[in-house]
Amino acid sequence: MRAAMNTKRNLVTAALVAPAAAWLFVFLVLPFVAMLVFAFGERAPEGGYQAAFTFAQFANLPTRATAFWNTLLLAPAGALLCLVVAYPTAYHLAVKANPRYRLILVSLVVVPFWTSLLVRTYAWMYILGSRGIPNLLAMVGIEDVRLLNTPGAVLLGIVYGYLPLMIMPIYVSLEKLDRRLLEASADLGAKPVSTFFGVTLPLSLPGVMTGVALVTILLLGEYLIPQLLGGGKVFFIGNALVDLFLQSRNWPFGSAIAVTLVAVVVVVLMVAMRIAWRVAGTRQVDLV
Amino acid sequence: MTKSHRENAPITADRLTDELMRLKRGSVTRRHFLGVTGLGLATAVLARQPGLFNSTAFAEDLGTQMSIATWPNYHDPATFEAFKAATGVAVEVNVFGSNEEMLAKLQAGGTGWDLFVPTNYTISTYAKLGLIDELDLSKLPNYDPSTENPRFTNEGIIDGKTYAVPKNWGTTGIAVNSDKIKKPVTSWKDFFEVAITEADGRAMVHDYQLTTIGNALVSLGYSFNSIKPEELAKAEEVLLKVKPHLYAINSDYQPAMRATDAWMTMCWTNDGAQLNRDMPEIQFVLGKDGGEIWSDFYAIPKSAANKPAGYALLNYLMTPENAVKEHVANGAPTTDSRVLKLLPAEVTSNKIVYPDEAALTPLEFGAAVTLTDPGRAELMARFKAA
Amino acid sequence: MRAFISSVYLFLYAPIALVVLFSFNAGRSASEFTGFSTDWYGKALGNTFLVSALQNSLIIAFTSAALAAVFGTMAALGMERLGARMRALFDALFAAAIVVPGVVIGIATLVALVAVFSFLNPALAALWPGDRPPQLGLGYGSIIAAHGLFSMALVTMIVKARIASLGRDIVEASSDLYATPLTTFRLIVLPQILPSILAGFLLAFTFSFDDFIIAFFVAGSKTTLPIYVFASIRRGVTPEINAIATLVLFASLLLILTARILMREKRSKSGE
Repeated sequence: MRAAMNTKRNLVTAALVAPAAAWLFVFLVLPFVAMLVFAFGERAPEGGYQAAFTFAQFANLPTRATAFWNTLLLAPAGALLCLVVAYPTAYHLAVKANPRYRLILVSLVVVPFWTSLLVRTYAWMYILGSRGIPNLLAMVGIEDVRLLNTPGAVLLGIVYGYLPLMIMPIYVSLEKLDRRLLEASADLGAKPVSTFFGVTLPLSLPGVMTGVALVTILLLGEYLIPQLLGGGKVFFIGNALVDLFLQSRNWPFGSAIAVTLVAVVVVVLMVAMRIAWRVAGTRQVDLV
Repeated sequence: MTKSHRENAPITADRLTDELMRLKRGSVTRRHFLGVTGLGLATAVLARQPGLFNSTAFAEDLGTQMSIATWPNYHDPATFEAFKAATGVAVEVNVFGSNEEMLAKLQAGGTGWDLFVPTNYTISTYAKLGLIDELDLSKLPNYDPSTENPRFTNEGIIDGKTYAVPKNWGTTGIAVNSDKIKKPVTSWKDFFEVAITEADGRAMVHDYQLTTIGNALVSLGYSFNSIKPEELAKAEEVLLKVKPHLYAINSDYQPAMRATDAWMTMCWTNDGAQLNRDMPEIQFVLGKDGGEIWSDFYAIPKSAANKPAGYALLNYLMTPENAVKEHVANGAPTTDSRVLKLLPAEVTSNKIVYPDEAALTPLEFGAAVTLTDPGRAELMARFKAA
Repeated sequence: MRAFISSVYLFLYAPIALVVLFSFNAGRSASEFTGFSTDWYGKALGNTFLVSALQNSLIIAFTSAALAAVFGTMAALGMERLGARMRALFDALFAAAIVVPGVVIGIATLVALVAVFSFLNPALAALWPGDRPPQLGLGYGSIIAAHGLFSMALVTMIVKARIASLGRDIVEASSDLYATPLTTFRLIVLPQILPSILAGFLLAFTFSFDDFIIAFFVAGSKTTLPIYVFASIRRGVTPEINAIATLVLFASLLLILTARILMREKRSKSGE
């Protein structure tokens, strides 16, 4: 009786997880294995893949060092820049803003997310192109300013595209913050600045960490923004990858780079979790 | 009797009877008959009206949409609108910046193109890889090999089989905005020098290995088509040196040139003609030291979903009356003597479109080997990722 | 501070305002305003390719999000009942599905599918009784599969978080009162996790609808709206794209508003 019930229970469990398990296997595990196999293969004479076992693709990785460095530099830089803009915004929304308008203001942060990132980035191509801001500058006598297709333009596009993703987790962590703590801090004679650094900031750190990790990880695979605002010159590893598949047709090398990129993401994620863990740890010490 | 190429012209009763007799005798195919008399198009339209011509003995069903893969700014949009009006088939235009990109798409499978525009040096590879069909010329009654200039059209024919028919020819030169750049640019050597000096931050190269690497090779005095590793290594040095100074690596340079975001670019004849027509300060020059002469073709991918529409559009574009409008709009020189006769004098006397023979002498046609050479492919990818 | 906040909102909305403004442009260009007109809305809705791209995007986003909502919720419920080791494995796989960059997901799916097709298609051709064997290829299926992967992970995570915060006592009370597990689920659990399922569905829908890079690799001959827009940027954008983007923007605004109102009604009903 008991065994029958257990069997039934197991069957139900299996039925519940089976579709997702199948999906994960066929469209995540299998593709990853295929990519790994390809990474040890050779480029066919006309391009594509041809079976082989060689480490040549991995040995060739240093030729993409610049793209890897750009990515490893610009992804966290972009995330931090996002943070600089996002934190005061989230703070204002959660702490300062009139509660009556809070919901509307928060929604307004999310709405841009609902329009095509492509179209919005295209709008920046126009704003930064010579008919946009440089044209306005020319009217006041500053000629021939070039903004488009520069690393600065790419960074701007990144901040623009990912700002909502940074604001939201910080806002959520600040909103949960118990206002009585702030009042207590003020009552105990703390100046607003020390209340901020002593209470608010530490308590919002989980949100900050989530935001920074999320944006950094998404940026590691970015393709569109550097492509459109960098003129094909500011290269992220994502762009190098697309190039290898859609132009030079070197599938094995592209696979090797993709595998390496995943390894980089895992390392970044582990570092982020380590830091988050430490931050969480110190926070507890502070509270107790 | 000569073949009529005026598909849209009303056909005389005499000719109709004559063609009908030939059809009966079997000296022409049914398709030729339908094409020449214009009945093909009419039946194609009518065939889609239920109840009128249900018999499949008439022209094939063209469907309602098709897709063409081509190059930036390469067609008169009015052409596709006219084609839609005539056949009911809407044409989706996909734009690519290099032959390699088109090849990559076709190799990965499932492009959805019914017609595309490869360049001369790629056709033998496409045929070898089985990616394109041998053309059924009976479906292209308006194409006439005898009026085509063989200098530009021979690469479409492999072992006597026609795999591609010519669109137009052209050159790869340099477009310079003379308002912004005062130093004369007359060679690829000049191009790469000016790109890091007067045009610092304002020069563009193609996102295309053939021309970007080829022209860097030419600037060093090597062949445009070289695949020698030591020469490619020198070309890579030139490209890596110029890269930080470039405005962009992009084969669609017209928007940037028109907005004067960019002042100088590698440029194809047709773009040069269009830019110069609208902005006379943009000049188009051919490298004294060499460069590319090319011809583009139309071909039908083996994987095309709507081949009847692909053939119908191709036949439409091969009609001199339609082709001439395309040439006036896009500014590329024609390979077809029938079209040449119809072109207005201001086009045929335009030195950008029809340069003197002497200016063409140093130019080279792209070689098939450059398309698949792994060294050139990897060099281009490295250059972009650097 | 106020000035800073205002400029953040200006920064967020200036490009969108520009997109909307140029959708009313009379001229052909999406960058030079020559006069007011609504013609481009008509042209956009009359453009077969743009409309079919929009349709494709809606079909793909809806299907992948719906599959993800159902299978993801099932997985979240099922994982509760798994042993620790299996649960950790699932957690790791779902996490991987979320953090692996889209460009890698696209490439890996392409590589795997091309490999599988090159093996399956000849086999199908050999075994097929008729003369026109079906050809497996990239298209709806491959995009939905790749989008569904990310979306399923998303839904599972959100629903799992909700389940973790659910009180167990009420479920136990329900079974103590001899409700069948299915009844308990329907009457007790489902109403409580439904908002998180819906949230997951909406997020998944948005992700799929806006995704370019995964579809770019696995779409085959299918054109989604982002792919169409990307192709038009290369071809030269006309205000048609702006018109469609504006329509999509207002449609989503309407959706957000409706969701808000529905949620408010629900909240006032439940007396919160």
